Amino acid sequence: MSEEVAATNADVQAPEDVQAEEHRIPQPDKITNKDLMKSWFGWWWANEVPHTFDRMLAPAFCFGLIPTLKKLYKDKAELAKAFQRHLLFFNTQATWGGGTLTGVTISLEEARAKALANGEEPISEDMINNTKVGLMGPLAGIGDSIDSGTVQYIFIAIFLPFAQKGNFMGALLPFLCFAIATFTYGYYFTKMGYSLGRAAAKEIMTGGRMAGIIDGLGVLGLYMMGILAGQYIKIQSYLKFTISKKTFDVQDILNTILPGILPLFAVLMLYWYFQKKGLKITRGLVYLTIALVVLSIFYVI
Amino acid sequence: MHVTLSIWQALLIALWVALVESRILGFSTLTMRFSPLMTGMMVGFIMGDIKQAMIVTAAIQLVYMGFVAPGGALPAEPCIATAIAVPVALLGHMSPQGAIAIAVPVGLLGSYLYQFRFFLNTFALKPMDKYAKEGNARGLGFAIMGIPTLISFALFIPLMFIALYFGAPVISGLVANIEHGTLIHVLNSVGGGLAALGIAVIMQVIGKKQLLPFFFLAYFMSVAFAKLDISMTIYAIFGAIFAILYVTFTSKKSEN
Repeated sequence: MSEEVAATNADVQAPEDVQAEEHRIPQPDKITNKDLMKSWFGWWWANEVPHTFDRMLAPAFCFGLIPTLKKLYKDKAELAKAFQRHLLFFNTQATWGGGTLTGVTISLEEARAKALANGEEPISEDMINNTKVGLMGPLAGIGDSIDSGTVQYIFIAIFLPFAQKGNFMGALLPFLCFAIATFTYGYYFTKMGYSLGRAAAKEIMTGGRMAGIIDGLGVLGLYMMGILAGQYIKIQSYLKFTISKKTFDVQDILNTILPGILPLFAVLMLYWYFQKKGLKITRGLVYLTIALVVLSIFYVI
Repeated sequence: MHVTLSIWQALLIALWVALVESRILGFSTLTMRFSPLMTGMMVGFIMGDIKQAMIVTAAIQLVYMGFVAPGGALPAEPCIATAIAVPVALLGHMSPQGAIAIAVPVGLLGSYLYQFRFFLNTFALKPMDKYAKEGNARGLGFAIMGIPTLISFALFIPLMFIALYFGAPVISGLVANIEHGTLIHVLNSVGGGLAALGIAVIMQVIGKKQLLPFFFLAYFMSVAFAKLDISMTIYAIFGAIFAILYVTFTSKKSEN
């Protein structure tokens, strides 16, 4: 009955039309432990397979979410938007970072999907993006030192004597122990992230502090991007020239002006390009690659 | 006397390396890639001398003990190194130390190959954007998993096969020749610079210009403190504090 009223109003008023449109978004399916396992397994399996220079592990993260997002977004347009936002730059470690964030992301996406279906104000895309971007770095730092730096070598060290005596168990056992241990606690992190995220999502939706939280996460996200830019982007000049027997090293000169100026310049040029022309990622990629290849062939960088 | 592998043995070892380096066996390939042990075992199995293969591999493992890859880049590929060095050691009845001498340069070349895989992925995975935009889950799944796997197999199987079948000494010589060449330099520069793109994309997506000072703050903190080797966790704590301060002060202002 109320839908009918809304529909009649929609004919008269344009803004109502938008709301009526939103009401037609179907309710999402319930997320079960099986779905969490599917997404965790998808991320675990894809992990490093689609690693690219420009988005790092984002495709793998998106791959893990595919079955869950399909259950949450019955509306094709919302599903497409969800796929697209999870293909943006993302890099973390597999279990501590990826497991936890898979759970957290699913909980936020679920809250968003439910709100969209009920016509309430949903958790924004910014909120989801900023949460991922803010947490991926610190969790990766923990995970790298624990998983690949410690757990892996504990198993290898325990079983290496077998290998030294020529026994193949010295290879098989560390592999199996590491695979089983990380898969198990990674799934546990996924579940933990999901329940933590659900509690947080409820708090956000009812607390009326959404704008502040998005801003805060934006600060954290941009801050972490600045740190990553400083650590990941490696552009330096190899140009040297000699004028009247004095050799000038361009990178040394740049360092005296402003250390780290070249990576920053590259990021800002791209950012400026996106500001002007919109988010044209492929073009940005092609232009950047051409510039890097040409400059490095001549050893300018 | 020049002893070589049979075509089948070379092909099987090449296939194993492609399975590991494509990472198609999931996150568990981490130990297969970082540690030479599983590759040594497979090579021993394929060549019918597991005992000697394991002894040689254990020696190679000690070289690569403690290898970690922050941000995904490993300074060498123990799996590739082992796949070349163990057969050479077994066929030439070499000492484990001799095998290490072959393994180290080959591992170095291997890490460039692995980087080259990222480079190819960067361009070849583009169809995923199209499928995502269409909401096409099947196409998206294929683009994310199918394409990079095909690329890895096309890259690693022929190269490993050639290297194994025609001999690792040739490879060691080749490594020495191109290590300081322009090709590797260009590859390194492009790999080092492309991360700028993903970061610029996120800046655009977060989209709040008034928050940009925090990007600059972090960037110059990380440049200025580079020598202190501050961990990501500490930086994240700084970031969280700045975020809390920002929200606290801006919300106070609006209440007044």
